[in-house]
Amino acid sequence: MSDRIDLKTSSCPNREQRANGVNVYYGKASEIIRDARAGSLQHQERAFQQTSGCILNFYLTVRISTIRDAVMIVHAPVGCSSSALGYRELFQAVPTSLGRPENLEFHWMTTNLNERDVVYGAADKLKYAIHEAERRYKPKAIFILASCTSGVIGEDIDGVVAETQPEVNATIVPVHCEGSKSRLVQTGYDAFWHGVVKYLVKPPEKKQHDLVNIASMLSYTWQDRIEITRLLNKIGMRPNFIPEFATVEQFEILGEAAVTAPICPTYTDYLSRGLEQEYGVPYFLYPSPIGIAHTDEWLREIGRITGREKIVEKVIAEEHDEWLPQLEAIQKEFRSINPDGELLDVLGSLGQGRLLTQTPFFHEIGVKATAAICQDFDNLVLEETEKLVEEVGDFDLLVNTFQAAEVAHIAKTRNPDIILTCPFQGSAYKREKGMTRIHALRGDPRDWSGQAGYKGAIACGNLLLQSTRNQSFQQTMLANTEDTYTEWWYQQPKPLYLKEEAA
Amino acid sequence: MTATATAEVIDLYPEVAEAPRYSCALGGAYVAALAAYGTAPILHSGAGCGIGQQFGQNYAGGQNAAGNYGNTSTPCSCLVEEHVVFGGEEKLRSLIDSTLKIVKADLYAVISGCIPSLIGDDVDAVVKEFRDKASIIHVKTAGFLGNSYTGYEHFLDAVIEQLLEPLPKEKKLVNILGLVPSQHLHWKGSLRVIKSLLERAGVKVNIVFSEKDGLGALKRIPAAELNLVFSPWVGIKAAEKLKEKFDTPFEVIPFVPVGPRDTTSFLYQVGKLLNLPKKNIDRVVKEEEWWAYRSAEYFGDILVIGLPHAFFGVIADSGTAIGLTRYGSNELGWLPELVIVSDNPPEESRDEIRRLLTEGLASVVKPKVFFETDSHKIKLILQKHSLQLLLGSSLEKFLPKGEAVFLSVSFPSYDRLIIDRTYAGYRGGVALMEDVASQYAGPL
Repeated sequence: MSDRIDLKTSSCPNREQRANGVNVYYGKASEIIRDARAGSLQHQERAFQQTSGCILNFYLTVRISTIRDAVMIVHAPVGCSSSALGYRELFQAVPTSLGRPENLEFHWMTTNLNERDVVYGAADKLKYAIHEAERRYKPKAIFILASCTSGVIGEDIDGVVAETQPEVNATIVPVHCEGSKSRLVQTGYDAFWHGVVKYLVKPPEKKQHDLVNIASMLSYTWQDRIEITRLLNKIGMRPNFIPEFATVEQFEILGEAAVTAPICPTYTDYLSRGLEQEYGVPYFLYPSPIGIAHTDEWLREIGRITGREKIVEKVIAEEHDEWLPQLEAIQKEFRSINPDGELLDVLGSLGQGRLLTQTPFFHEIGVKATAAICQDFDNLVLEETEKLVEEVGDFDLLVNTFQAAEVAHIAKTRNPDIILTCPFQGSAYKREKGMTRIHALRGDPRDWSGQAGYKGAIACGNLLLQSTRNQSFQQTMLANTEDTYTEWWYQQPKPLYLKEEAA
Repeated sequence: MTATATAEVIDLYPEVAEAPRYSCALGGAYVAALAAYGTAPILHSGAGCGIGQQFGQNYAGGQNAAGNYGNTSTPCSCLVEEHVVFGGEEKLRSLIDSTLKIVKADLYAVISGCIPSLIGDDVDAVVKEFRDKASIIHVKTAGFLGNSYTGYEHFLDAVIEQLLEPLPKEKKLVNILGLVPSQHLHWKGSLRVIKSLLERAGVKVNIVFSEKDGLGALKRIPAAELNLVFSPWVGIKAAEKLKEKFDTPFEVIPFVPVGPRDTTSFLYQVGKLLNLPKKNIDRVVKEEEWWAYRSAEYFGDILVIGLPHAFFGVIADSGTAIGLTRYGSNELGWLPELVIVSDNPPEESRDEIRRLLTEGLASVVKPKVFFETDSHKIKLILQKHSLQLLLGSSLEKFLPKGEAVFLSVSFPSYDRLIIDRTYAGYRGGVALMEDVASQYAGPL
């Protein structure tokens, strides 16, 4: 794996090439580490597969449209951007009293590629869309998102950008996120950051010694931002949250920050490396501020990099006084559930980042995670996963990106006490035992939805406790609705159906 | 409308737009398949084509979860670069084979998207190999072939061509077409209301989508004596094809009736078409009208205090816009200022839609009618009007719109959960009263 990011190229390498990433595996965590170390971790083709997101449409369409004073143009048929239709509403549940500006405007456009365009090409149409965006909105940046169709018909997006840039004031940022480019949706993060670092970040005019870059996905909520801001302020620092809801200027000054800190290492990796390489911004990728112990370490790491060790220790001590009694209360509640003292077993559908953050957190609050589902696995988190196994012991790992049948299989056969699912995982939630969400969405501002920092750890622990108190919805649905999958599927020895087995 | 800034620029590519109010042809075919209960869609496409519809069709269509076969439960060939180069047929073959083993369903609908169409996969040939193993169809819907409404028609076309066999006609059986799942937010409730009203008048009704046995309902289509198309334009192609293949006549009822007046005339219209005894209709009409008008008494005070003779605007697909504009104008005393038709109907239907929106209204004020899908241009149109009530999509919820009371009634609407709710029929009129007034309600 080359650590160097090559900004001369038009886009990032795929995660498959850059970090030997896979999204299909079932085995022990220690085995996947061993295979990855030995270089024998390889992509295996599924015979059965379900829609899981592409590098354009897992994340980018919904999120880039939330960058303020910018326009997203999706160079694609109309359906590739329909997932962004909630853009005007996405943050409106956040009250202005919690920091949302009153007049909020986001804009995105589609080139709406049609039959004629796929025959004759649509470069002129894209140029027109760029000019139209400039004329309508006078944005500071215009993001151009590629699609399967623009890729297959061989559209020269960089050529259009080079030709059009002198004619518009906005900075044009092409994002090469053709859906078919990579099996790993996480390549989409890198494709986006590549465009950001290459076109948008400016050479620093001055260093801002109190500024912390934090790339925050929307699966971390408004409460998480508030908590992280609170903690950073206590050590005399400020967050620069990107990309969601950020202004273009917040991207331009990324090179001026004192440090880039993670919430999700797999998400932040490419940006962090790029900013260090180009502008000398230090970074770290582990741990994230999830759970009390990891929040301590996250603050310590920032303190170490920025020379604030003393104040950090003082803050940690203060915070412990406030939050540790609440953590103990949660631990006690969990212990009291099983009279024989057996810990509750929790199965989470996690991203690679959440695997590293949530799993230790489960142990911290007094439940166990004998298995985990993880969207992808690559060398970028190899060392951290080793640390994790040292920290919490070995566990079973199912690597898949939203494969609902696999989730239903592992949930049914392992039958853990609680499963934490994404809102969209088929029959897996219909069960006798516990079930709750893994995280909220749309910047959910309620205290209930926090996960990060000390406050989030307690909120999240309490949410998990709530899920043990009533299982009537999932039991009702189990009793009264159909299961999607056949008995044959549930009788398979493992939750994967690979091409070689089908042959 | 006075000349706007847009007039200075030549609109070279009118389809380039901010946030048009539909997904692609694949999206429409996909939600149609999900709505034919017991049908498992199999996407032959990039891996994001299903997830995209979760946010852009299912959630956008009244915050609906996708059910057993939707979203990440949808089998997908997840095409990547190597398939673009070498073809995706083998991948699809293996996917269909494994889906038949793993996913319980009555009907499998292979829906092929942009990539297979661009690289020339022979999807028909692959699907054919499985015909003796299961009920299976292929819906060819490259996303670039159109929008969600087109996709609905593609789904019906594939059903007609590949699944339907001639059946003896069942007397007094009608099919209901033209209500596009998800795009018409209230499709489930509207279909049930239409079914129940017609059944009470002695008609047998196959609503096709959301019937318990989806495959059975689809296969029963040729048995109908009459097809009713509830849209000024969507579903007419399917009705024409059904006429050609199975000799079933059709009638276009250009909008779902809202409230007693239009519902009553719709019932008499169907009665005439099917030669129903007039007394059957009379009985239903009498009972329902009494209930509807008696119930409207409860609306009186909040209407007169909160929304008297409100200047109102509607932004919706053509059928929904016509139904709501007529009801507001003809029975609630509102003044129709503005209608923006947002489903991009074909040119040849637009005069008729404009006529239905402006003629036969009790109000002295007649609405200005725009055909617009671009959310930016819709915003500019709204800025030029001051309204007291806006019935739109939730894209308008947070736009500055003066003092207008707002209710989302059209696609996309993320701000409400719509399962059984509908404004169709007698009860639908009352439901609209409840929903609109609830946006204003407080101590009077």
